[in-house]
Amino acid sequence: MSFKERLGKELLFFDGAMGTMLQERGLKSGELPEIWNAARQEVILDIHKQYLQAGCDIIKANTFGANPFKMEGTGYTCEALTKQGIEIAKRAIAQSGRQAYTALDIGSLGKLLEPLGELSFEEAYQAFVPVCVAGEEAGADLCLIETMNDTYEIKAAVLAAKEHTSLPIVVTMVFDEGGKLLTGADMEAAVALLEGLRVDALGLNCGFGPDVMREFLPRLREVTSLPLVLNPNAGLPVVVDGRTCFQVGPQEFAEVMKEIAREGISAMGGCCGTTPAHLSALVEACKGIAPMELSDKNRSVVSSYTHAVELDRPKIIGERINPTGKSRFKQALRDHDLEYIYKEALAQQDRGAHILDVNVGLPEIDEVEMMRSVITGLQGITDLPLQIDTSDPAAMEAAMRLYNGKPLLNSVNGKQESMDAVFPLAAKYGGMIVCLTLDEHGIPDSAEGRIEIAEKIIAEAAKYGIKKKDLLMDTLTMTISTGQENARITLDALHYVRHVLGVHTTLGVSNISFGLPQRERVNTAFFTIALSQGLSAGIINPNSEAMMAAYRAYCALNGSDSQCQEYIAHYSKQGEQPRSVSPKDEPLRLFDAVVHGLTESAYQAAKTELETRNPLEVIDGELIPALDKVGQGFEKKTVFLPQLLMSADAAKAGFDAIKEHLQAKGGASESKGTIVIATVKGDIHDIGKNIVKVLLENYGFQVIDLGKDVAPELVVETAKEHQVKLVGLSALMTTTVANMETTIKLLKKELPQCKVMVGGAVLTQTYADMIGADFYSKDAMGSIRYANELFQA
Amino acid sequence: MPDSRKARFSMRADRKETLRYLGYRGQEIDSKMERMIEEAAAELEQQSSPKSVYREYSCQVFEDRVRIGELEIESRNLARNLKGCSRAVLLAATIGRAADFMIRKYSVCNMAKMTVVQATGAACIESYVDEVQEEIQKNARKRGLYLRPRFSPGYGDFALEYQKDIFQMLECSKRIGITLTEGNLMMPSKSVTAVIGLTGREQESCQMKNCSLCAKTDCEFRQEGEDS
Repeated sequence: MSFKERLGKELLFFDGAMGTMLQERGLKSGELPEIWNAARQEVILDIHKQYLQAGCDIIKANTFGANPFKMEGTGYTCEALTKQGIEIAKRAIAQSGRQAYTALDIGSLGKLLEPLGELSFEEAYQAFVPVCVAGEEAGADLCLIETMNDTYEIKAAVLAAKEHTSLPIVVTMVFDEGGKLLTGADMEAAVALLEGLRVDALGLNCGFGPDVMREFLPRLREVTSLPLVLNPNAGLPVVVDGRTCFQVGPQEFAEVMKEIAREGISAMGGCCGTTPAHLSALVEACKGIAPMELSDKNRSVVSSYTHAVELDRPKIIGERINPTGKSRFKQALRDHDLEYIYKEALAQQDRGAHILDVNVGLPEIDEVEMMRSVITGLQGITDLPLQIDTSDPAAMEAAMRLYNGKPLLNSVNGKQESMDAVFPLAAKYGGMIVCLTLDEHGIPDSAEGRIEIAEKIIAEAAKYGIKKKDLLMDTLTMTISTGQENARITLDALHYVRHVLGVHTTLGVSNISFGLPQRERVNTAFFTIALSQGLSAGIINPNSEAMMAAYRAYCALNGSDSQCQEYIAHYSKQGEQPRSVSPKDEPLRLFDAVVHGLTESAYQAAKTELETRNPLEVIDGELIPALDKVGQGFEKKTVFLPQLLMSADAAKAGFDAIKEHLQAKGGASESKGTIVIATVKGDIHDIGKNIVKVLLENYGFQVIDLGKDVAPELVVETAKEHQVKLVGLSALMTTTVANMETTIKLLKKELPQCKVMVGGAVLTQTYADMIGADFYSKDAMGSIRYANELFQA
Repeated sequence: MPDSRKARFSMRADRKETLRYLGYRGQEIDSKMERMIEEAAAELEQQSSPKSVYREYSCQVFEDRVRIGELEIESRNLARNLKGCSRAVLLAATIGRAADFMIRKYSVCNMAKMTVVQATGAACIESYVDEVQEEIQKNARKRGLYLRPRFSPGYGDFALEYQKDIFQMLECSKRIGITLTEGNLMMPSKSVTAVIGLTGREQESCQMKNCSLCAKTDCEFRQEGEDS
């Protein structure tokens, strides 16, 4: 019988530690254990045999660190060591005469993925591919991805295994005592992702001994429908003179494991510090215990890289990241102004959205590329799950691949073509799917018609193994201004789908009032009715206070807001305090709003100013004087950095109001000049550079920000292309100032007329002179002064 | 001695330190600013999960190099710092990824708060490392050993390249989730590695702060009055 056939049906035993055993045989600290697959095969073979003799069913091949990054410079390839590792394990099994399985053991790459680290998702994926291929070719029976602490890296490894092998996949992770991965992901998030990717089993390894791990299991059993695997350490590690030791002995280990087996587990073994003696005691103690009973937990969840959102009570899907009908948004997409999109995301999160819809389709842009950029960027700044909203299957797949979690997909519909395109993607990457109840014949004008399509979609999804719990049926909101029946049809279908078909529901709520005056009045009423009919997730504008109030009031009324806590928390203070900043006083002048760093007031004040003055007067009469005042204060040290930046943010809001004003009139704002800025190659400290950028923009410069770790060639190329007069470079480390010098030299050679200003913690005037900079800015305001002088001349 | 410690420390951001990192020079702080500082500290403390790992090795000190365990380090400054020590602790600590996430988030929507988070994170990792160091000190004192001031790669002539070795010896990536960039910078950014010498002679456990060893005398963050 194969591993997969036995998994879940009987209690299986993994083996114990390899590293611990190798250290006893003389493996030095820092030496790579996988190299012994080539250099000291007999030792590896012997260890495997000992575990087989102990009664283990699954042998973890000595391939944990065999990846391209760790093998760099060792003279070995990961493919060769993987192949040898698998072969040794298989030889041990053959010689033992037992039926046992060889696991291709895959560990972490040891590098952080984006957005925190340097490694892109695709690079991580590519690093796992050769390992998976070599492992299967050499005859592995399963793929064990273990000791993982980042869901994104797990996803890269699982995809590599899925796309290049047909091996069963088991994933075990290391949670800290707070029940979180190093990335902050909780168990629900990890489980959502892994079940979405359809791995065969999941669980825990390393980190703790069995006693601590035992405490995690009830929660894990509650949320996963998959077989559970547990490979704990022999207790917590202690160090004696630089050597790691583990203190839980074989009997103690086996006793706790026996308890765990009785409580329910599918496979168990050991990690660091466990020996053949531990495993022998474990197998002896647990023989004959039945494996945990598996059951479908039937949870409808999507997840982000930190947490899962379950549709156990109504949820809000924020609809604002969508260019439809928004000229400013369209312009942002054309200009690749992603910051605008990120602000929309954060504003909706602030207002209480649980999931964010992401639609970045415009006919004139490359939607696939845009989707990639936006999804990557968004998961760097918000921890809300995302709803991938596109009609282009290529863009959908690109986004799903890069998404660090289980996304919501928007959408599939009853057309065969649509289902043929979307369901395979959902089956491969995982995700809940918004299903529109329309098909080749259009939108049925009866509830029955829509229900029929819903049933067709459910049946088709089942062919791909997609269960009802992962569908979110949209019974389609049509405006009542064109047909009085429209609301009833939508709601009748919704009610049936939710309560008879047992499938979750969603609606684009605000369509109901299209063509009517004062739409919010109709929207809120419809929203409340829809919720009471069984709406699971409303796609709405969370910035509408009325809609959010309707939602919170509904949750308080129907009992899903326990003890009205959320309602009270949200509204108990608002009654006393109107939302405006200075209720009693006159509205603030723009100048004062900026000086005091009041963003919202600055925006409002600028709008008011623009009613009577032209934009130039507002800029020169209010915004710039206010910025100057704060800037001077900063230089005289009466204002300190965060205060300066509060004013900068407020001024930016003022400029936004002006931009909107100009755009409405079809004009564009004028730029004083273009400046290229970058943090130099090798350096990732970009905070100073970002501060300079905001200030320069406020002073009317167009800033091309090349980001951090920027190659000298790119700086020069960009400066040439835009024929800029000024380049700003930052570096924080002594080691990277050398790269700053290289960049300056190249600039001076290729663009002799271009000036270079530099800044950063380790720089001094002397240093700046030495590397050939034209100006050394000791703080952010220095760069403003220099730029102003240069561009006035 | 515990090998890897997780979240057993309080890790509080010291307000004074936070302000120092912000370049504060006694300016007036209004209630809005005050609230921002409090919120940043609360959010960071709530979301961070500090972790550390340290191991003790025998050490030999020469004129211009030291040997810690099997690691040979060429550095006059470190040799001076470890003078008279027969043992040394390698330490790595991080407050985790939350600070970097928050910095990225606030750089989109609130630059002021971004700098406050940045400063708070810096204060947090320092105070956390102090706590871990205190534990090391307690254990050392039981054996009649005293701590030298901690000394990190990048200080003086202690080259950043040694980060790679320290990371391997402490298994930083696996145990506490810090990794190195190609330029040997640490990610998450609010992380510290250090060497702490252990000496049997109390008079050698000088309390000189590291700032005084640094050549950048006009540094914004230099602590005053402790130059030796």
